[in-house]
Amino acid sequence: MEMKKLLNDSKKVATQYTTWVTFVGLLLLLSILTNGQALRWSSIRNLLIAESVRSFAALGVGMIIITKGIDLSIGYVVCLTASVAASFAQNPDYSSAIYAGQSFPLIVPIIAAVAAGGLFGLFNGYLIAYGKLPPFIATLGSMSIAKGLQLIYTRAAVVGSLNQNFKNISQGSVGPVPNLIIYVAIVAFIVWVLLKHTRQGTHFYAIGGNAQAARVSGINVERDLMMVYFYAGLLYGTAGTLLASRLGLANSLTANGMELDAIAAVTVGGVSQNGGVGRVSGMMVGVFTMGLINYGMSFLGVDSYYQQLVKGFIIIVAVYFDMKKYARRA
Amino acid sequence: MDTTFALEMEGITKTFPGVKALDEVTLRVKPGTVHALMGENGAGKSTLMKCLFGIYQEDKGIIKLNGKEHRFKDSHDALNQGVSMIHQELSNVPERSVAENLYLGREPLNKFGLIDHKKMNVDTSTLLKDLEINVKPQVRIGSLSISMQQTCEIAKAVSYNASVVVMDEPTSSLTDNEVQHLFKIINQLRDQNVAVIYISHKMEEIFAIADEVSVMRDGQMIGTYDVAEMTNEKLISLMVGRDATLRFPEFKSNVGEVLLKVENLSSPNPRSFQDVCFEVHRGEILGIGGLVGAQRTELMEAIFGVRATSTGKIYVDNDEILNMTPRKAIDHGIGMITEDRRGSGIFPLMNISSNTSIASLKEYLNKLHLLKHKEMKEESVRYNKALRTKTPTMETLIQNLSGGNQQKVIISRWLMTLPDILIMDEPTRGIDVGAKYEIYQIMGQLVEQGKAIIMVSSEMPELIGMSHRVMVLCSGKCTGVLDKSECTQENIMRLATKFM
Ligand SMILES: Nc1ncnc2c1ncn2[C@@H]1O[C@H](COP(=O)(O)OP(=O)(O)OP(=O)(O)O)[C@@H](O)[C@H]1O
Ligand SMILES: [Mg+2]
Repeated sequence: MEMKKLLNDSKKVATQYTTWVTFVGLLLLLSILTNGQALRWSSIRNLLIAESVRSFAALGVGMIIITKGIDLSIGYVVCLTASVAASFAQNPDYSSAIYAGQSFPLIVPIIAAVAAGGLFGLFNGYLIAYGKLPPFIATLGSMSIAKGLQLIYTRAAVVGSLNQNFKNISQGSVGPVPNLIIYVAIVAFIVWVLLKHTRQGTHFYAIGGNAQAARVSGINVERDLMMVYFYAGLLYGTAGTLLASRLGLANSLTANGMELDAIAAVTVGGVSQNGGVGRVSGMMVGVFTMGLINYGMSFLGVDSYYQQLVKGFIIIVAVYFDMKKYARRA
Repeated sequence: MDTTFALEMEGITKTFPGVKALDEVTLRVKPGTVHALMGENGAGKSTLMKCLFGIYQEDKGIIKLNGKEHRFKDSHDALNQGVSMIHQELSNVPERSVAENLYLGREPLNKFGLIDHKKMNVDTSTLLKDLEINVKPQVRIGSLSISMQQTCEIAKAVSYNASVVVMDEPTSSLTDNEVQHLFKIINQLRDQNVAVIYISHKMEEIFAIADEVSVMRDGQMIGTYDVAEMTNEKLISLMVGRDATLRFPEFKSNVGEVLLKVENLSSPNPRSFQDVCFEVHRGEILGIGGLVGAQRTELMEAIFGVRATSTGKIYVDNDEILNMTPRKAIDHGIGMITEDRRGSGIFPLMNISSNTSIASLKEYLNKLHLLKHKEMKEESVRYNKALRTKTPTMETLIQNLSGGNQQKVIISRWLMTLPDILIMDEPTRGIDVGAKYEIYQIMGQLVEQGKAIIMVSSEMPELIGMSHRVMVLCSGKCTGVLDKSECTQENIMRLATKFM
């Protein structure tokens, strides 16, 4: 009897806090398997750094999924913005630089990349909100456009030899805390405020939950939808800048597949594909859960083919619990 | 006992997190009778029926059909055992045709194992003809009016040839004529020895059609009575557990200057409303009457900016408003409680407090333009308290409330926007008698404060009891405006059927 109640209670907790339970469970598992080796600060620090860029993409697409949309263009948009950022940060004496012989102030690559991301967001948003294209199709198209633009802009070459100041943006640290982690914290905070404490954020949930009801509640559905893709675009631009800065280069393989990683992460983080549900904390935990899986398996020396397999299963299990939680029974 | 019951439900108990929805409920229904199930919003009627229909699994209790015990693991199982149900909320697939919806889950197959569309359409056509329902099997069900969709749901429930048919508020979106039509169908079922369980908040209907009535209160069964020995007052007091209240409250309002004026408003669709003119004054309740298809909802949606108009003008407080949108309408002090609760009312995965405050966020911003969550929640609580929304907590998701309580949350939402002009499209749909009175009282208070209300209603007593004037539409055209003194059922019906 006691046992049954205990089981029931823990089942309740598991469905209520799937995201956190998965994360903590994996963390414990990993520390047991490695005798605590994997949980040293230096390792955790590496994990955080590795996942930081992905967090921006995840926050962006997380907001989009809350409005019941999707974005497949993330990977190539981040690739494009990374290339744009890199092109304005090359050493002027590098002979194959895109703008050889010219040097730009540090702010230029940042602004250019964020603007490029924002423009892409507006483009996606316009197609979806006003053009009434299904998000899947609109962003499938813009994914290809972004890829094409990146190849044309870079002439399919590596954009390398970046100046040290630009690299310092992401490679530096404040005391023991790496810059990247500070950026993630700041941006996550901003997105949290947006979603939780502004009208527009509340509208995103409403639109995802019931677009028609949102409309008759006086919400400008089109404008808000456009804005959500715009905000996401800005985040992708930020991700691109930081990625170029961290890697010290950009090429056509940069951020490859990031859309799938980001979508998987927020889904594991409890953002429902049915729209109207999701939190920033969940998205972040989702990102780090996925990171932990990658990192843990590498640490344990699991073959990378098997890593893919395990990752797939974990996504499915996490989403399974989530769907149960929100399933309409009537 | 010599009679076997068509259905016996004994000691049914069902708990949801935070609520005991059913507490040892027993219900026995005889074959060939219409058994009404009554009770306040949230009393547990729908939950009991969902246990019967295999949508919920009861925690405890026995279900017997014709004396034989059954346990339904899902709705499919229930249908196979001869139980069919019309759900309180529309449950069709709007993008598919009428025939496809009727045969959903039991599509006839041809010899290749593919769906036999021809047979499906022919069968549907025959069924609809038998029931005298005038609609083509091939049309997309989502393109039909809500009442026609509901009529199709009724046809669907009948088509299973079940021995127990459950109807959960089947008439909440039907007008009088269609209700009569439904009663004809129910009488046929009764003659075929079917047991019909009939849930409704409309007293007239219970006395018109039911043989027996069972009353529930707070998840418990109060008792089963013969309708012939029942009176209106007795039934209400059984339901609410105290003495019955008046039907309509008294309110004294001064009808003042014109607040909303609509001139020659026409829809781009020639079959919808055309050339409609009317005025609403401060302190006035304008009722809008008419049959289904009279385009009342369409007209209201156009005024609120949800639907396009081709010609005509809308003035609020003497200012003409061009290119109306819901946002503009709200900014000009108009609020609208829409007819289709599920389609354009609730945000199913948001909690009660967010569902209440969603249309008034603008009023709850601090200096930094961030939302004042605490105040917003307090106001939401206040409105829902006033309407006595029955919920475990304010954090409960609205989809877990009973239908009537969802409606109360939507009404709270619009009261919270402090509208000057409130459009209420079927405001008391699915609301129990006690709560109806409370809503009427609130309507009275609003007009006493000099606000204006436009109320679309298919319930004659409500239309006559609450309105200062009633405008009647027929086939999209205004056929007359009746003053309080001329407001009788006959006059309204005469105008509502002018072009028929
Ligand atoms: N899926 C659910 N999860 C949690 N609580 C629920 C759920 N379904 C119903 N309830 C609760 O059970 C109680 C009974 O609800 P039910 O829908 O049976 O009421 P009802 O008598 O049909 O009311 P109405 O006249 O408003 O339709 C309510 O308090 C409701 O909040
Ligand atoms: Mg109900």
